[in-house]
Amino acid sequence: MKGRRETRTAVVVGAGLAGLTAATGLAARGIGVTVLEARDRVGGRTHGIEVAPGRWIDAGAAYLGDRHTELLALLGELGLKTTPTAMLGASRFALGAARGGEPTTRDGRFPPLNAVALGDLFELLDELTTTVRPEAPWLTPGAERLDTLTAAEWAEQHLTHPDARLFFPLFLGEMMAADPAAVSVLHLAFYLRSGGGLRYLNAFEGGAQQDRIAGGAHLVCERLADRLGARVRLGEPVRAVHQDADGVTALTAHGSYRADVAVLALPPVLADAIEHRPGLPLRRAGERTARGCAVKASLVYPAPVWRDHGLSGWSVNARGPLLSTVDDTPPEGRPGVLTGFVTGAEAHRFAALDPAQQREAAARQAAQLFPMLPEPIGCHITDWVNEPYSQGCYAALLGPGDWLRHGPALTAPSGRVHWAGTETSTAYFGLMEGAIRSGHRVVAEILARG
Amino acid sequence: MSTDTTTPATPDDVVAIFRRVLQREDVAPDSDFFQLGGDSLIATRVLSAVARAHGVELTFDEFLLAPTPDGLAQRITAAR
Repeated sequence: MKGRRETRTAVVVGAGLAGLTAATGLAARGIGVTVLEARDRVGGRTHGIEVAPGRWIDAGAAYLGDRHTELLALLGELGLKTTPTAMLGASRFALGAARGGEPTTRDGRFPPLNAVALGDLFELLDELTTTVRPEAPWLTPGAERLDTLTAAEWAEQHLTHPDARLFFPLFLGEMMAADPAAVSVLHLAFYLRSGGGLRYLNAFEGGAQQDRIAGGAHLVCERLADRLGARVRLGEPVRAVHQDADGVTALTAHGSYRADVAVLALPPVLADAIEHRPGLPLRRAGERTARGCAVKASLVYPAPVWRDHGLSGWSVNARGPLLSTVDDTPPEGRPGVLTGFVTGAEAHRFAALDPAQQREAAARQAAQLFPMLPEPIGCHITDWVNEPYSQGCYAALLGPGDWLRHGPALTAPSGRVHWAGTETSTAYFGLMEGAIRSGHRVVAEILARG
Repeated sequence: MSTDTTTPATPDDVVAIFRRVLQREDVAPDSDFFQLGGDSLIATRVLSAVARAHGVELTFDEFLLAPTPDGLAQRITAAR
């Protein structure tokens, strides 16, 4: 028995949900922490925008459901509340010139496509989702084959009906911000399973989009950071992490931070961008790991006028830039906010436009979908794909080969370096819930070091 | 998957489909799909299963008008 812990200090890299959960957990158990954050704000892939005085929307991660138990517990602890994602009224669908070109209106969220063809697609996806081993996708029966094939190749082989082929990339864009060519079938199946299955992940009421965080999801990280006070250092991008027999040193442009252990709470591509000494036995990202492709475009209007016309603000569109839209109006009811999701391959095209072109394209498409809209009074575009300290959103996209090669070492510490981040959580991978769970896991790992 | 176009669809056939896609056993011939927690996404899975088993393609709107095993079995039989 040792009389005294050998692990007394930790340096945490990244002040997103994972890093701050880990840091507050370690601090609560008497470990001295320093959190190094590259940006001039905390929050990572959560970010609030104030659209009117005191009225906030989420430019990044936004949604949660009742299975997100760690997030809900944390909200309770921090005194934060949730607010339901109201979705009353009919939806708008613009699903291509073959269908008349003009958007159509329908009750509910079901698109005007062949229901049997979509059902065939969902039956196939459900079968894949049920097969996958959620805690160890690399051990799924047939994993080698599923890890070789892209979701686009799978769709080519299995989907015959044009409506299923049209809908599949839209569905993947919405679910996981992925172009089907970017992800392996194994990752697709894992992601759907990890998030609670097709239906839970897709649903608003009773599903993963049931609620938002009142005041904005960024408040979670802000409150966690408040607890840590001066232990959180902003504007400190870490360029190197050096380990030796006695400890670990994180090097930034401004100085060096010494600790017994390090927690790297970063997306895998950013973890690889750090110089590791000694070198890592295996890189964090695979050769085909791609950025999650999501750009959020929020248009602000004096009021959510679509509601007066019996519309929910929800739309699904075959052509971009806005492949889907949702009513993001703050719970106070003003101003009206319509948020468009630009996902998958469309996100790269949109990101290449200059800001004025982006605003113009988003506002024009919104006006086609909702002709009652006046000119927007504001427009907020958040391009997560090219955000240097995120490099993608919702989460990293694992391509062919990635799960089999990198999965088994997903959470294994490299010496004194522990790994956190939503991409290291096999439960609720890519979601806020996964980030928090990874933070808790790392706290347990570090305490177990003694 | 075999397509059976000779025997009529019984409510029990549809009950079995509901049970599978809803992942719950408490489904009766007069149970309402949406009250059992069904939504539009899994409703399409019912329609897919019906098409495979009975060779009948029902539309989403037809499903909404008869979202019980009894109602759907009648529609399947009528459509053949």
